[in-house]
Amino acid sequence: MPQNQQKGRKTGKDPVETSVPAPLPLNASLEVNLQEIGKRIGSSSDIVIRNFTNESLSSLSLTFIYIDGLVNADSVNQTVLQPLMENVTLKGDTITAEAAFSMIKDQMLPVGGVKEGKTLEVLLALLFEGYTLILFEGLQVALAADTSGWEKRSINEPTSQGVIRGPKEGFTESLRTGTSMLRRRLKTTDLRIEEYKIGQRTQTGIAIIYLKGIASEQVLTEIRRRLNAINTDAILESNYIEEFIQDGGLTPFPTIQNTERPDAVAGGILEGQIGIIIDGTPFALLAPSTFFNFFQSSEDYYQRYDISSFLRLIRYGAFFVSMLLPALYIAVTTFHQEMLPTTLLISLAAQREGVPLPALAEALLMELTFDVLREAGVRMPRTIGPAISIVGALVLGQAAVQAGLVSAAMVIVVSFTAISNFVIPSLAIANSIRLIRFVMMFIASTLGLFGIMSFMMVLLIHMAGLRSFGVPYLSPVAPMIPRYLKDIFIRVPLWSMTMRPKTDLGKETRRQGPNQKPQPAEGANQKSTEQPKPQGEDPA
Amino acid sequence: MNKPGRTLCLILMVPLLSALLSGCWDNRELSELGITSGSAYDWENNEWKATYQVINPSSGSSGMGGSGGGSTSSPPFLTFTVKGRTIMEAIERTNLTSTREMFFSHSRITVIGESLAKHGINQLLDLFLRKQDARETVYMFISQGDAGDILDQLMQMTKNQGAGIQLMIEQEAKLLSYYPGTRLYELAMALSSESGSAVLPEIRLTGPKIMDETSETGVTDLPSRLELGRLGVLKGEKFVGWLNQKQAFGLSFMTDNIESATIAFASQPAISGKPDASFILQNSTTSVRPVWAKDHYIMDINIKGSGVLTELGSVMDLNDRAAITGMEESLEQQVTELVNTSWAEIKKLGADVTGFAVRIHRSDRKHWKQIEKEKSWDSVFKEIEIRPHVSFQIERTGLSNKSFKSVQQE
Repeated sequence: MPQNQQKGRKTGKDPVETSVPAPLPLNASLEVNLQEIGKRIGSSSDIVIRNFTNESLSSLSLTFIYIDGLVNADSVNQTVLQPLMENVTLKGDTITAEAAFSMIKDQMLPVGGVKEGKTLEVLLALLFEGYTLILFEGLQVALAADTSGWEKRSINEPTSQGVIRGPKEGFTESLRTGTSMLRRRLKTTDLRIEEYKIGQRTQTGIAIIYLKGIASEQVLTEIRRRLNAINTDAILESNYIEEFIQDGGLTPFPTIQNTERPDAVAGGILEGQIGIIIDGTPFALLAPSTFFNFFQSSEDYYQRYDISSFLRLIRYGAFFVSMLLPALYIAVTTFHQEMLPTTLLISLAAQREGVPLPALAEALLMELTFDVLREAGVRMPRTIGPAISIVGALVLGQAAVQAGLVSAAMVIVVSFTAISNFVIPSLAIANSIRLIRFVMMFIASTLGLFGIMSFMMVLLIHMAGLRSFGVPYLSPVAPMIPRYLKDIFIRVPLWSMTMRPKTDLGKETRRQGPNQKPQPAEGANQKSTEQPKPQGEDPA
Repeated sequence: MNKPGRTLCLILMVPLLSALLSGCWDNRELSELGITSGSAYDWENNEWKATYQVINPSSGSSGMGGSGGGSTSSPPFLTFTVKGRTIMEAIERTNLTSTREMFFSHSRITVIGESLAKHGINQLLDLFLRKQDARETVYMFISQGDAGDILDQLMQMTKNQGAGIQLMIEQEAKLLSYYPGTRLYELAMALSSESGSAVLPEIRLTGPKIMDETSETGVTDLPSRLELGRLGVLKGEKFVGWLNQKQAFGLSFMTDNIESATIAFASQPAISGKPDASFILQNSTTSVRPVWAKDHYIMDINIKGSGVLTELGSVMDLNDRAAITGMEESLEQQVTELVNTSWAEIKKLGADVTGFAVRIHRSDRKHWKQIEKEKSWDSVFKEIEIRPHVSFQIERTGLSNKSFKSVQQE
């Protein structure tokens, strides 16, 4: 369309291949309007067009249009069709179209959302959202009643991030369900939800959610800017948004978190992050995110701080194991044999006796095999699961060793690496390590431990330079802000996290009053001079 | 070049270029390595004769298929004997007979044959300190006769011979303290110190035959085993003589090398001089103080120790304080005797393995300078007189206050 191209040139963007027409005002003739609509949307079988005409030709003529499947049939019947069809006044000959319009609009539709539309584009957009359109003969304005109600999945336990203790509900594909879950958790007037429609063909609803006063304005402006700059035809999943708005396109590290858990999003929002919910996917985004956010699991806060701290340290350990173990194995067995204890060296040497491949090839073979197995595990139908595990465990583990293709030690290394990878709560960062691991293996096979160290330094330099919406990726470790370290490597008790430990741009607010540590009541402990304070009072 | 490209190049260049600086460059697969667990050196026909004990990995662990090792027919190690005008030449010649490159980083022991010890070991020490994959922490031994034979002997209960011998000397030094385990760097330090002398434990075979076939180890008592024997004394770089076990024990007391030791002694020396009781010495410290007595040095050797009475064969009531004092005196007497016999032999050899030179240098620097200038240490050493003062305490006597013999007699 020429108009569209012009529009594209005006905004300085490349026009997206799509057929968005210029806004077309409604015609006074119902017939013309219906024809135009028919031309636009074709004669799809799910579009229901109902005429409401009296026998007498002079009387009011209405047409209902809705899309079956997007509307709630009961709602259409009871709130739109029934009241209008059974109304005596409308059936009479005397009422004019204008009078009928205002009467219907103001009195006769027991629906929450009733909108007016003057152009075909507005009306069609509403139609696709599940509204029922009511077009009048002789009027250049039409009504749209909110009857939307499509089939939705019920709220289930999140499949990608399970917890033992904690809420077991996850987001669903519906945007509105998502916002409602957050609204339910954060009953504060500061909660803001801004909605966008992105994608010229999909018109996907996207909501950014934040707490006013806690989320940084700079970051918000930046996110709004980047969202508005997206000019694409389709957004089908949150990764589309993620890739369009994240910093550092060439980094293997994720700078935006994704989660299926509303409590994780609520937690992030409370710490000043901005949540992004995308219609059509249960995965919400959280930005800005630092490296350490990917090691925090929402369950950390649902169990005691000592065990959480321990588990978190294990996660960091697993991160390094997952990234380095095969590389270390290669480096030590081909370059630094003197580093191994003698007994282990002899045992390794004995295992490698019959193996025809060099250590690198052996490691690559097993690592790739595991990735194939893993990919197969995701794709395969559930019922084939046991078959795959038998093939994986027996054929590839036991038989490969017996056949002398790989050494038993390599199987241990690969399995431990793989299992360590699953310890990391965020799949996003776990996946990026999978790639780094291979690079690391190649470097280890050419330069040994020295190469591993060099590559680690390169990675560290890269990470230190990375930003997520202006927030340094390694903060608060680099740049070091010691008092924000309470929730990074370990998790201190909740009562001692007085301030929000945000990695944000200078936003720091008090989360709770000081002296929250439970103490024995007066009398039980003579030394305690502090009076118990009424709730909500802040001595500071 | 544009900026990101240049940055990328720089980032890649840093590790690549600095790789050239590192020592670890060649990669070797494990299956190419001949892991040596021990080496032995002899001097034969004006050539180095080196014997290397190379671990045979496939006999060590359970191997492929998990069929269980245990009674594999292949021996746990193989030995290569090579000759060369220099040690490195000998090492390189192993490649003429072996499929694997010698890898010395896991070597645990080095045995020096008497022939080499008489020729001088400086070149060997130099090689160990210089070569990058040689370890200065190997335990050094000396053997009378051919050192290579020691490495041929199979041991029971261990697949890694070198580690087995290392374990033997380490446990001996910890539990018995007859000989100090001497590592290569300790040997080098002792030889380069003011004393210029060192001791090395002797390793020898108990039987005349070498047990070097795996089928021969299938018995519970080997006719020939490895054993720690005497203590070899080196002066300068050369072997000068032996100290027997008793003398070695006395030397351990003089040099403060006692970790813990068991001493058999006569509980009632007045009645019988025959040892009938045992004492475990748990703590022992020795301090040596040189005193210049006008024309010669007197070494005040203070040995203090305490321990547990573990065995008592005579009729005795330990509630009696005098009985304990009597035993303590008997013990002290015995150790003093050990030290004196040891000193007599050392004096005869003229090798300052007691480290007296270091003591004198530290406490009397002026006089030491003079000795050094006159190069008269050897004659000064011969004049030294020792005064051992031993004081032992029996701290505990166990659960029973009376010896079983006295209980029975009542």
